[in-house]
Amino acid sequence: MLSINLKKTWNDFALDVSFDIPSGKITALFGPSGAGKSSILRLISGLEMAEDGFISNGNETWFDKAKGINLHPQQRSVGFVFQDYALFPHMTVEKNVAYGIKEKWRMKEIKDLVDIAGLSGYERHYPEQLSGGQKQRVSLIRAIARKPDILLLDEPFSALDWQTRIQLQEDVKDIITQFNVTTMYVTHDVSEVYKLANNVIVMESGKEIKRGTPEEVFLGKRLSTRVQVTGKVVGIEHDSIMASVTILHADQFFKTLIDTEELKSLNLRVGDDVIVGVKSSDVILFKI
Amino acid sequence: MNFAEPLLLSLKLSGVTTVLLLVLGVPFAYWLVFTGFRWKFLVESVVALPLVLPPTVLGFYLLIAIGSNSFIGQWYENIFNQPLAFSFQGLVLGSFFYSLPFAVQPIQTAFSSVDKKLLEASWSLGRSNLYTFFRVILPLSRHGIITGCVLSFAHTLGEFGVILMIGGNIPGVTRVASVAIYDEVQSLNYGTANMYAAILLVFSFVILAAVYFVNRRFTRTL
Repeated sequence: MLSINLKKTWNDFALDVSFDIPSGKITALFGPSGAGKSSILRLISGLEMAEDGFISNGNETWFDKAKGINLHPQQRSVGFVFQDYALFPHMTVEKNVAYGIKEKWRMKEIKDLVDIAGLSGYERHYPEQLSGGQKQRVSLIRAIARKPDILLLDEPFSALDWQTRIQLQEDVKDIITQFNVTTMYVTHDVSEVYKLANNVIVMESGKEIKRGTPEEVFLGKRLSTRVQVTGKVVGIEHDSIMASVTILHADQFFKTLIDTEELKSLNLRVGDDVIVGVKSSDVILFKI
Repeated sequence: MNFAEPLLLSLKLSGVTTVLLLVLGVPFAYWLVFTGFRWKFLVESVVALPLVLPPTVLGFYLLIAIGSNSFIGQWYENIFNQPLAFSFQGLVLGSFFYSLPFAVQPIQTAFSSVDKKLLEASWSLGRSNLYTFFRVILPLSRHGIITGCVLSFAHTLGEFGVILMIGGNIPGVTRVASVAIYDEVQSLNYGTANMYAAILLVFSFVILAAVYFVNRRFTRTL
């Protein structure tokens, strides 16, 4: 289990978090931009140093301010997957994947890793010859090839288009599950949390505000007062799902913010009938 | 007098200086890029001084620093039984300082333009600073290192003021091609001076064309 307690201040932003990450699970750090999620990954990996606190991985202490311990990134068993891949542009896929492998006898594993990532035939390709999704796969297996105790993913899908993202989310989950590696994953996308994470920690302004399974966090008491519907899938196309809908529960009132000018132009009065529209991107579907 | 001697001496001086600048300039440029030293700007200013100083000023102070009455000059004489000033070794030392910015600055620029994320990726993959330097920074800075080497070579080849100040005009020892041109003009031998000048002109042009060509190729492949 990874235990962290970290404090650090950057100008007017203060990070102050303390939590445990269960072994072998995928934990999402969820929150808006600027909440401090990526900073936590950088502090865990040793790329930055906290001002106070500790980081321990099982019996091993990686950082302890009080005891004056601060292991270099090289000494921490982490794999880091960067948002913009950070592949070495002068090395082939094969060389990138092999970069962190120090034992010569393990070199034969590279081919298996490349196969797992669905990149067979691309071993001799350079990063500039790959698509965004392929680059992120290389980045993932490069990090896993080192057999790290902790895998850290910093918004790994944010630079990808929507369709690639959906496909890659499935692949990433499969790969991580296959290697059974403790994973921390930064995102501000709710659907990604549901798809990938076993647990989620919600961050806001450098602090943890909620923690639990995705269902507990997002469908807990506070959110259930909005609206819940059930339905049946009536059609699936390549990029969308159609479902019939029955409203189970809804708030008595919906409150929505509206611009004064827009309100005037709508000419709404108390008692008027309205259609309530919901953007499809705000809808989450679960199998029940 | 042997016509080729000053040219060969110029090539020898440029070659030795360039190798020295490469060996010492690469770690020095690395230090400049990655140090947290707060007075780094002063070091950078000193390195860049030859770009703006009249060569005679640099030559004068170097002469004072390595002359027979100086600490360095006496120390050198005690060990090697010959003076450092007005020797080929003295010229190498002068050329080293004179061409230092031409080697260090392109290499420094190339090192600092390597994406920091790549270094972080290397560290997080368990690799040391030294391994990261040889496997990531150095290969991605090839163009800067080649540019630094070629510019140092070409700049040393065209050096005049500093050489005249600390090396004088000793045939076979310190009389390089640029000094030979001056010497021939003083003796009204315009034909010989023209031949030296034309050779240096063509050589410098070829070197610069090669730098631009190589840089263009690297820009394409990276």
